[in-house]
Amino acid sequence: MNPAASLAYACNARVLGPAALRAARLHAEWQARGGAGRSPHLAPPLRIAPRCKEMVARHWLEGRYVQGVRKVAWVTSGAPVEFLTALGFYLLYPENHAAICGTARVAVDLAAAAEEAGYSRDLCSYVRTDLGSLFSGRTPVGRLPRPDLLLACTNICQTVLFWYRVLAEHFGVPLVIVDTPFVYGEEASPNSLRYVGTQIDEAIVVAEKVAGRALSARSFERVATRSRRATELWLEILQRNRHVPAPISAFDQFVLMAPIVELRGQAATVDLYAAMLCEVDERIRRGVASVREEKYRVLWDNLPIWFRLRAVAELLAERRIAVVASTYTNAWGELAPYLDTASPRESMIRAYTYPILNRGTGHKLHIMQGMIDDYHLDGVILHSDRSCKPYSLGQMDQRERLTGGLKRPALLLEADHNDMRCYADEQAATRLAAFAEMLEAQR
Amino acid sequence: MAALPAIAARAEVIRHHRQQGGQVAAVLPVHAPRALLRAYGFLPVEVWGPPGVRTSDGASHLQPYVCSIVRNALSFLLSGGLDATDLILVPHACDSLQGLGSILLDFIKPRQPVVPLYFPRSDGAGAQRFLAEELRRLATRLGGISSRAPAADEILQYVVDEETGDRLLLELHEGRRQLPLTNADFYRLVRSREYLPREAFETAARQALAMRHPDSAPGKTLLLSGVVPEPTSLMAALDERQVQIVADDTLCGRRRVYPPGRSRDPFERLAQSWLSGPPDSTRGSSMAARSDYLVRQVAASGARGVVFYLVKFCEPELFYLPTLRKALQRKGVPSVVLEVDLNDALSQQMLTRLDALLEMIP
Ligand code: SF4
Ligand code: SF4
Repeated sequence: MNPAASLAYACNARVLGPAALRAARLHAEWQARGGAGRSPHLAPPLRIAPRCKEMVARHWLEGRYVQGVRKVAWVTSGAPVEFLTALGFYLLYPENHAAICGTARVAVDLAAAAEEAGYSRDLCSYVRTDLGSLFSGRTPVGRLPRPDLLLACTNICQTVLFWYRVLAEHFGVPLVIVDTPFVYGEEASPNSLRYVGTQIDEAIVVAEKVAGRALSARSFERVATRSRRATELWLEILQRNRHVPAPISAFDQFVLMAPIVELRGQAATVDLYAAMLCEVDERIRRGVASVREEKYRVLWDNLPIWFRLRAVAELLAERRIAVVASTYTNAWGELAPYLDTASPRESMIRAYTYPILNRGTGHKLHIMQGMIDDYHLDGVILHSDRSCKPYSLGQMDQRERLTGGLKRPALLLEADHNDMRCYADEQAATRLAAFAEMLEAQR
Repeated sequence: MAALPAIAARAEVIRHHRQQGGQVAAVLPVHAPRALLRAYGFLPVEVWGPPGVRTSDGASHLQPYVCSIVRNALSFLLSGGLDATDLILVPHACDSLQGLGSILLDFIKPRQPVVPLYFPRSDGAGAQRFLAEELRRLATRLGGISSRAPAADEILQYVVDEETGDRLLLELHEGRRQLPLTNADFYRLVRSREYLPREAFETAARQALAMRHPDSAPGKTLLLSGVVPEPTSLMAALDERQVQIVADDTLCGRRRVYPPGRSRDPFERLAQSWLSGPPDSTRGSSMAARSDYLVRQVAASGARGVVFYLVKFCEPELFYLPTLRKALQRKGVPSVVLEVDLNDALSQQMLTRLDALLEMIP
């Protein structure tokens, strides 16, 4: 451990920074109580939102000073990370970083740096955002720590495999790949599960080597237990939206999901979501609706449009449309049943083989159909995300089935999760207005 | 330039195979177990697009940001182009083919059985065991469809025979400079492996190899990388300019020339062979492996420049491009990127860029 780095870490990441973030949170809470920035159509954010934001900000703050103090692993959003957390790694999620850049509307500027270096505009905009940040040294979070280890799991796409190959080349650090064969049918074959298991075992060996210590079974189990609990709580929060009117919109979920992705094995995450669930329940008791005049309830499929999160939420709320569920936020909840804390290794194999993105287009339709029933939905918005082929392919047939068989209006909204150049405000507004009319006509 | 040995047309080969009572497998890119298909009586016929099909059929299932290989393949299927096939094999080469396989299985459900095949991307020891087992599972599936049950020895023989085909293909690629064939003819010959039975391909390959001429003196020389040499107008343009492609690094070409396996178990042997093939984007090879390999190919072939002939929206290829170009640049090898849609002709702008590259090389 580097003494200077440790001192800077102790001062900035443990004392001064958290104090500043706490002050910012208190200020935000105070402002929220005063009704600042309230929308006429949307309920105010959850009271716990500033705490969630503070937690996430602390994580990124720690990242600024963690170099030389803790080992750092850069990981994909669907990667099996419980053993890394148990080994004491600081985890950085480049996808989350890219989403922060998208929300802060600096993604296009950063992407331009990657494009300048030869990375095509046809590549996923998360990748371009992050590579651009890497090449230019610019980031809205201050500084990104250099990785000691890279872990890419193909359960969301093949894109991450290539992306992490680029990172491995750039940083010259070990890359561990956990390759999860795509599940075309109902079940993954025993061969696939065995293959994933072997790779997790191999990954643990590499991680132990980088961490300089052996994985303790107890801490592995403890982290897995917290992961499971946080995931269950997250799912419960989402499922509270079965209530009419829905207490929390999918747009809020997109923001509140950050800890379940990047901090899911931590005790504080469990506490956060437990408190969040209480607040959501309180909203239900008090009859608070996320869209004040909720009339239509719809499902959002695919990633959000990070740079227009608020604008799209407002636009829909104005038309009394509440986006109450999303396949994207659900993806982190639906893993809960697979996580068996008594055997973390086995449960990791299943949990990380079965995310929605590693399963067929028919499975996704099935999930959407289930959500339509469970959440009493009137329609579906399918974000056709130019940057994310694995999520978007199949949507045209899914729409066909939703509008045909289920008689639910379904809109295919062409956009991109991070690249504003692929989004036209006027066109989107027109399409969403037409969708609203379809919902009206359907009633 | 000499005349290309006679090569039967694809439709004719399919017709003949069916007349003999054989079945036909439509095989999508990239890596597919030809030997296994043959062992079960299927003639593997690869579907790289094809170019020039009416794409409106596929457009109702696929967004416009999907590559034209996938879009055309689906359009071709929907317009009856694959009616003469009994099976559709969809290797998992990329997210787009993954999506296509899934849409076919879950929504379109064509008459022919759709069989996906996952290719492992792990660097670890489990990859070979996984792949061998997947091939065993595939064999069971093929047995069910064809009602054939070849013994392990018989399958092994097919594997060994296809290795001979691979060896000849390698000789053609390595001996390209001595072959008095135009670029168009050379690619017609090597790509005939995409549909010819191994025996017929061997005959054509041996005839061509017999034409090797040590004094063959190509003009300017290039290495062709990318996906597939379609549209073939590139070949015509290069022939017109008396430029020879002396080395190939395309997905449909040399990146599928595998070294022979060693095991006596046919499935293990196939897996060994595949996994030791040239570094390849769709297999997720490391950046260093890809660029070292490419640089070596350039040096060994004497190519003076590189053309990356890419299909638009091909993520696997696009990811490696900056690293590869940088590696070439370090060696003083100029390169150009031509990104095409299979259905478009080579534009004047692309030809201009090609000419600019040619001006830079001796
Ligand atoms: S392609 Fe999709 S799943 Fe993959 S990194 Fe990009 S947004 Fe995520
Ligand atoms: S061209 Fe690229 S994206 Fe298209 S099928 Fe081939 S490998 Fe996949």
